[in-house]
Amino acid sequence: MTSAARVLYSAGIRPRFRWREFGLLAVVALALVTGWASLSSFRAGELGLGDAGLLATYLAFLFAIHVAFVITGRRMDQVLFPTAAMLAGISLLLMQRLPPDLVQQSIAGRDLTLAPLQLVWITLGLVILAASAIFVRSDGWLRRYKYSWAAAGIGLLLLVFLFGEVTGGARLTLTLGPLSGQPSELLKVILVVFLAGYLAENRAVLAANSTKVGPIKLPPIPYLLPMLAMWGIALAIVIVQRDLGAALLYFLVFLALLYVATRRASYVVFGLLMFVVGGAVLYGLFPHVQDRVNIWIDPFSDPQGAGYQIIRAMYAYGRGGILGTGLGAGLPQVGTVPSIPAIHTDFVFTALAEEMGMLGALALLGLYALIAQRGFRIAATAADDFRALLATGLTLVIVIQAAIICGGNLRVVPLTGITLPLISYGGSSMLVNGAVIGLLLALSDRGVEAPPPGARPNVVRRLGRRARGLSGRVEEAIS
Amino acid sequence: MDVFTLSLWLLRIGFVVLIYVFLFMVARALWHDLRAGVSGAGRPLGRLVVIAAQEGRPAAGTSLQLDAINSIGRDVNNSIVIDDTFVSADHAMLTFRGRAWYIEDRGSTNGTYLNGQRVDGLLPLGYGDELQIGQVRLRLERPRPE
Repeated sequence: MTSAARVLYSAGIRPRFRWREFGLLAVVALALVTGWASLSSFRAGELGLGDAGLLATYLAFLFAIHVAFVITGRRMDQVLFPTAAMLAGISLLLMQRLPPDLVQQSIAGRDLTLAPLQLVWITLGLVILAASAIFVRSDGWLRRYKYSWAAAGIGLLLLVFLFGEVTGGARLTLTLGPLSGQPSELLKVILVVFLAGYLAENRAVLAANSTKVGPIKLPPIPYLLPMLAMWGIALAIVIVQRDLGAALLYFLVFLALLYVATRRASYVVFGLLMFVVGGAVLYGLFPHVQDRVNIWIDPFSDPQGAGYQIIRAMYAYGRGGILGTGLGAGLPQVGTVPSIPAIHTDFVFTALAEEMGMLGALALLGLYALIAQRGFRIAATAADDFRALLATGLTLVIVIQAAIICGGNLRVVPLTGITLPLISYGGSSMLVNGAVIGLLLALSDRGVEAPPPGARPNVVRRLGRRARGLSGRVEEAIS
Repeated sequence: MDVFTLSLWLLRIGFVVLIYVFLFMVARALWHDLRAGVSGAGRPLGRLVVIAAQEGRPAAGTSLQLDAINSIGRDVNNSIVIDDTFVSADHAMLTFRGRAWYIEDRGSTNGTYLNGQRVDGLLPLGYGDELQIGQVRLRLERPRPE
């Protein structure tokens, strides 16, 4: 044993190789270098990598994190990190490809453009990912203070509501000194933590039905109220801020988690009915909702105005075809005018689909499907209800968000502005999604602290145990 | 078509193909995981590999197949018998409960150690963890793939 190894051992650190992760990261690196070469060669007119400093920095960072995982000997999922790394790498490539002057910001006295800025956000996101994966060894701080988390989240949103700045028709951005961010991104994680904590504690009661409204059986109302209230407040603020994408995301995640926790399809039916009613009410109340729906049904009714973005996107898919035009050969801008507004944020999927074609777009969806598979697997093998629900919720947040925005870009559902997780340009989005993947990794670690014994009343706990085994018997046990 | 256009086209397609290679590698790994999970019933759940034994019994490198419940000790009635002077008659219990392995000391004289720490009560352990029972060091490993 070398002396370095002895120092590690005496500090309680036992390195553990992660060969599968290493192999997958190698493929990620190879793919990204190929992509970078394709872009640079097209631009320069001769084969070569061009100035690959950004890519080299990114790849070095990936392997540094891999080494950190190995040295600390974490027994975490080995697929999730390479998948996230592939997504963030594709993001870096796309930002390098898009017109650099879409965003300009100076950080620490240096004026940075689109791709370098995105690299800064990706790096920070990866730092948060690695930190939460390595240092989160217990989930007590999440499960114990669920109401405090919920209150903090709502408070944050209220701050935006009062002091936020309007970007793109929605009041989203909060500026605090030199920092600015979009708290609705953070709120989605806080909401999942709260819902997981609340549902894990009360799932036995919620799974039983004692209140009947007509033909629909509902759980005891007092148990549903705190959750509905929290969720309603969040949703109302989001709607008033006109952040429809976030509202849709919160609603779907809430419904899915409720179903996962209780296994009652009637909740889903009830929720979807509420969705239809709520949608109709919003459609009647807010003109911007009407706009979104009308453009979705017939974008050509206003081709130079409201329908411009989505029509341009459709042209882009047409140009891309099955194999794509190749990186660099698409038309995200004509002269100096971007042909699709918000190409680097909301419409980044279109930028990818144009230059990498339908095959590339399908590969991207495949990567999200992988995240879903790993996340649900982590949930299925979790030690207790809270961790299972938390893992489910975190996975859903990423996957549903991707589905909403890809669907919107493809004109499958009405377009609502929201970022494509781990791909879109943006600091808040990168940091929060980095934290989500990091938490999922921490949850998948088989070496973490065992969950605390339930501090719940005995009756409820006994019911909960039965609910896990024989969910059908719970109704009898309560009545 | 000149060489440059061809290479550019190859790079372009190569990028997308490599993403699919990544997806394929993961899918294959998942498939193996699933198959191992399905066919895993009735097969050994894991094995203990002897890393080192002071008195040479059992010999280093020996692999001991594990069932769901394994009693470890010097007494011949244990499912895993370790004939070492420092091992008690009924030394420890290694069990597979649901999805994880647990080790428990059965009041042995010299104690059971998990990764160098004395086992007190019921402790979870994973594949790759190291046990010390008497003067014998053992490592918990996955069952050998067939």
